[in-house]
Amino acid sequence: MTTRFRTRTFLLCFVPFAVLLAGSFWMIQRFVESTVRDGLRVSLRANQVAIANIHAKGDLQNSRFLKVAGENSALKAGIELLLSNPKSAAARRTVEDQLRELGEHMGFDFLLVSAPNGAPLAGVVRQPVQDAHNGSQLLPLDPAQLDHAGKGLLVLDGRTFQVASVAIDQDDGNVGSLSVGEYFNFAELTTPAVLLHNGTVIASNLPNLPLTSLTTTLADCGDRAECDLRLHGANWISAPMQSWGGGYVLRSLENVDEAVAPIQARLHKLFLTLSIAAVLIALLCSIASARSIVEPIAAVVSNLRHAARTGVLTEFEGPPSSILEIRELAEIYNRAAASVRAAGEDLHSAYLEFVGSLASALDARDGYTSGHSWRVSHLSCAIASAMELSPDDVERIRVGALLHDIGKIGIADSVLQKPGRLTEEEWILIKQHPVIGRRILEGVQGFASYLGAVELHHENWDGTGYPKGQSGTETPIDARIIHVVDAYDAMTTDRSYRRAMTHERAVSILRENAGRQFDARVVAIFLSLPPATLMRPSPALQDRVQVDESEMAVVG
Amino acid sequence: MRCKGPTVFVLLAALALGTSAENITGTILIKRKLTKRSVTPAVSVYQRGATVQLGKDTQTDPLAFERSRVVIYLEGAAPAGVVPASTAPVPQVAQLDRRFSPDLLVISAGSTVSFPNMDPIFHNIFSLSKAKSFDLGSYDQGQNRKVMFPKAGIVDVYCHLHPNMEATIVVTPNRWYARADGSGQYRIPDVPPGQYTVVAWHKYAGFFRKSITLETGHDAVADFFIPLEEDANQESR
Repeated sequence: MTTRFRTRTFLLCFVPFAVLLAGSFWMIQRFVESTVRDGLRVSLRANQVAIANIHAKGDLQNSRFLKVAGENSALKAGIELLLSNPKSAAARRTVEDQLRELGEHMGFDFLLVSAPNGAPLAGVVRQPVQDAHNGSQLLPLDPAQLDHAGKGLLVLDGRTFQVASVAIDQDDGNVGSLSVGEYFNFAELTTPAVLLHNGTVIASNLPNLPLTSLTTTLADCGDRAECDLRLHGANWISAPMQSWGGGYVLRSLENVDEAVAPIQARLHKLFLTLSIAAVLIALLCSIASARSIVEPIAAVVSNLRHAARTGVLTEFEGPPSSILEIRELAEIYNRAAASVRAAGEDLHSAYLEFVGSLASALDARDGYTSGHSWRVSHLSCAIASAMELSPDDVERIRVGALLHDIGKIGIADSVLQKPGRLTEEEWILIKQHPVIGRRILEGVQGFASYLGAVELHHENWDGTGYPKGQSGTETPIDARIIHVVDAYDAMTTDRSYRRAMTHERAVSILRENAGRQFDARVVAIFLSLPPATLMRPSPALQDRVQVDESEMAVVG
Repeated sequence: MRCKGPTVFVLLAALALGTSAENITGTILIKRKLTKRSVTPAVSVYQRGATVQLGKDTQTDPLAFERSRVVIYLEGAAPAGVVPASTAPVPQVAQLDRRFSPDLLVISAGSTVSFPNMDPIFHNIFSLSKAKSFDLGSYDQGQNRKVMFPKAGIVDVYCHLHPNMEATIVVTPNRWYARADGSGQYRIPDVPPGQYTVVAWHKYAGFFRKSITLETGHDAVADFFIPLEEDANQESR
């Protein structure tokens, strides 16, 4: 997959960072949650134990009550009466009446006297009364419907009583026992609880939970002191609060999730905020670091792109990067750019040398014209400099002057070196040399700027020149300068067809033709050049100077 | 109980002399409630399944109740020739609604009292008093037991099965006794002239004595002020 370097750097910086942060936050959150949960569990457990203790204390208090009730002499007399008149309804009524009074005074909901063998004799139980002010009354119960009257729990008509018993002794002999009970009211329990009988839930104050499912869930707990369980997808802990004989156990239940929920919600919020903040910070850091990595490279790339567009390798500028690798890259790039540029310059100078040797070769074809190209070049440069042209223009003029007669390569020696007068046809051939020169150089890369000098250096100011017949400034300055210098040099050197003119003669001819054949301004500058400049640069060649008749004809 | 020797002689002399009979009258003044009365629900009420408001005194005027609880009698043995009427109906202390009814009975020594049980439950009547100690045992509704009280004195009667049941039987030495009415007035009729010690008794205030001389043709007046408890302690006990 192709991605931008910037994108990739960002992803590499950010994604592991974010994943790490989110992961560690998640772990911390889990850890804190479990710690909080454990803490809550401990406090819940303590609560359960405290509640159980309170219940146990209440039980103890009941038993103290009972001790007092067991010493009730009237009750003793009643029991004795009942024992001695077992069939008497009145005797039973008497005891029931006594129990009722006792119960009303002491606030019991269930009272029963039993014979020493445990057989129930008489009892009363609190029943709701319709037309009553205080709602309930202790009414006699049928002892036959009782199967169990010891300490523990008693289930009577679907209601559960918490029962305690005390033996009633008279004169060192046991006359029976008294059982008292209180209605076991789940609604009074502040904590959720279930009542089990031999592992089966027989009552609970948990709404919306069927007893059978509670039984199944609590079966896992067994007889353990406390256990964790799951009800309706929530975590609960259960602890035994109280146990009675006969397999009755009261267990408390506490919803841990509910207790943890507010804290958990707060933690969630906190950690969500923290992790979002951390991820945002990571994002900013990643963007910053990605930028700091990418930007120097981007600068190098844009430099390269610029180089590709312009074809010029410029060196990498700006302050050195603080990144070692980037700095090395910039340095290597700069070195490469320098060497490429040096290679280009070498190539260029090789071209120039080639051009120079080409010009020399051209000059060498004819002894009369030997050094001509070099002299023209030299003087053209002098004029261009005097005209205060730019160095680039001067250089272009220098090279263009060296090459201005290159087209003569394509003209046969017989024509070129003919000592006598040229025929009309031969003259036409000679006149073709600027066009031939242009054609030669046209195909060579880097010579485009010299074409003007080569093709147009025989155009006249008044438009009478060749090959195009251009006039005035239509002809580039290169060609106009070369035209003047070329004429001067031709006039002041020997040719196969004539002797060299004197400098003064040549100058006067130039002056005469200024504004007609030549650009008057160029001529004026040429004439104002210091005399030393007009000295032949290579005196060795002067011996062979001859006046070229054909050149004279051109001049003329 | 203290007896004053001279009084007895005076009384005997007076009885021996007199053939005519005068009245002793007086007013009992009580300014303070003395009896703590608790109302217990009746057995039958429970059996109907109705509720009972406990602890409410139905008596509208507690002082009138206190005054009516005062027994006045003349101290001394029964004079010869005066025999308690055997034809009179036997006084009774019934057990009704888990209470003794009446719970204050005045009889002269030698009288017999019956204790019928009218409740649907058992009662067991007994007394541990010096004047007469007895235990009638448990008995059911409709049954009756009788006790003869040969000696004068205060007899407290209880029930084994119901500790809150109590009754008092005042056994007087002779037939001259009376109970004050709600306004505190009492009248002991047909008393031979002579010197007497009039005794006023209230269960919670104790004994109050007054010497009077009853002259022929004149009724004597003996007013009693039953004082506050601390005063009673100083004066009569």
